[in-house]
Amino acid sequence: MNKTKITQEVEAIFRKVFDDDKLVINMTMTANDVDNWDSLTHMLLIVEVENTFNIKFKLRDLNKMKNVGDMIDLLVLKIG
Amino acid sequence: MIFNSLSFLIFFVIVFFLYYFLFKENTKYQNWILLLSSYFFYGYVNWKIIPILLIATVIIFTLGIAIHSTEENEKKSSWLATLGILLGIGLLVYFKYFNFFIDSFSSVLNTLGLKSNIGTFNIIMPIGISFFTFKLISYIIEVHSGQIEPSKDFGVFATYVAFFPTIMSGPIDRPNNFIPQLLSKRSFKYDLTVNGCRQILWGLFQKAVIADNLATIINGVWDDIPNQSASKLLLIAILYSFQLYTDFSGYSHMAIGVGKILGFHITKNFNYPYFSRNIAEFWRNWHISLTSWLTDYIFMPLSFKFRSFGNWGLILAIIINFILVGLWHGANWTFVIYGLFHGLLFIPLILTETIFKKNKLNVNKYGLPSINDFFKIIGTFSIWTLSLIIFRADNILQAWNYFLDIFSPSLLNAPKFTSHDLALIFIIIIFIFIFMLIEWYGKETECPLFQLDKMKNKYSRWVIYFIILLSTIIFTGGKQVFIYVQF
Repeated sequence: MNKTKITQEVEAIFRKVFDDDKLVINMTMTANDVDNWDSLTHMLLIVEVENTFNIKFKLRDLNKMKNVGDMIDLLVLKIG
Repeated sequence: MIFNSLSFLIFFVIVFFLYYFLFKENTKYQNWILLLSSYFFYGYVNWKIIPILLIATVIIFTLGIAIHSTEENEKKSSWLATLGILLGIGLLVYFKYFNFFIDSFSSVLNTLGLKSNIGTFNIIMPIGISFFTFKLISYIIEVHSGQIEPSKDFGVFATYVAFFPTIMSGPIDRPNNFIPQLLSKRSFKYDLTVNGCRQILWGLFQKAVIADNLATIINGVWDDIPNQSASKLLLIAILYSFQLYTDFSGYSHMAIGVGKILGFHITKNFNYPYFSRNIAEFWRNWHISLTSWLTDYIFMPLSFKFRSFGNWGLILAIIINFILVGLWHGANWTFVIYGLFHGLLFIPLILTETIFKKNKLNVNKYGLPSINDFFKIIGTFSIWTLSLIIFRADNILQAWNYFLDIFSPSLLNAPKFTSHDLALIFIIIIFIFIFMLIEWYGKETECPLFQLDKMKNKYSRWVIYFIILLSTIIFTGGKQVFIYVQF
């Protein structure tokens, strides 16, 4: 799966978790940029991403994800 | 030395003069002034506790450098980080919980019919230990996870740990936020200082007028619960919610204000919690520096670990997290029950998925909330008030009796007070009403007094400051130690 396809899938997950069909993600986006993105919804995001891409993150991976770009880069590394 | 005392005022004027006039523009000297004044402030009541703070700081500083220098060797680096975290926890356990564990263990043995002669130890808990150990632990975690570089300057690190405005009762600043500020140049900024002064004034008003006056009445009732009517106990429970809030929020505003005068932006601790519409919202707005600390270092790893269990995994993580929130306050089963109670309150919010939707609190053209939101606010406040009975009680039995006494027929009788107390309560309730009104209309700002910037006439602004200051001087209660200093 290439980076563009992964980004599209991640965007779909964001829209589902944050219940916002118009949400557009970008690589520098952080929790401060999205309403309702807190520790609880972050965990929902992680679970959705894991289930969609059939992968398992490590706790260390979570610490490395400072923005959406980091998450997508990590996904490219794991499944790309 | 408490903020609202003459000794603190003299101390701060000296620090301010040295900091800005004698060593202005020299960050290194300014930091040393802060460090020495922080240790003086900390040791002012009991200098014997200084070595504990100093030794813990030296060890964690050294471990930070060691963790960073061994990052190529993951096993060694993790081992050192674990050692640092265990040291922080060990400090807390020894000084705060050791006797509690011995006592509880002994009670279990007695319940099982086994005789135990285990005595407790005479351990003096250093003030502020719950606050500075959390700073030390977060430093180790952040260095180990590579989020920050370890500090190479002991003076800077020691100042971060001991910073006098926050060492007694927080807010618990993270190294990521605070250490870079210690490294940057700080010169006198008029606007920041004015903001700091306004925040101190607001904190002082809350503490001196509301919290300290309420303390004398509330303590009197709690000392004699069996002889009080139910209606009086209920009123006192409600008033205690305001005492605790104004005491701790007052302290936090003053700490943040003092920090601003010295050129620092300290993490905020409160975001108008009494306007929250459910308990999850409440905890996002109450004692923020503690809850966000626990969220990052306890809740996130736990909920990640339990994520395969879905909502129930989340619930389990929240309950453990809140038991720790409770236990952080002290070694007493009341705090465990208080934390557990709040953790359990999250269950319906998670199962109904209300917790994931944060709707903004909307107001009409008069600035008032909808009826629905109003009742949600009242409901949340009521639950909080009931939980504080457990929080305030000396033991579970006392809390239980308080509850039983509240729900008795005398609830319908008017509470009886002496004429002096009645007049005092009447005045305080008026002040609480004004206070809440100012908070409500200022809730979009960090401190409600900041909204006075909107006033074009500066003289009107000064009149308001003067009224608040005058009220504080006239109606100040007997000086009471800040509640959170004991934690």
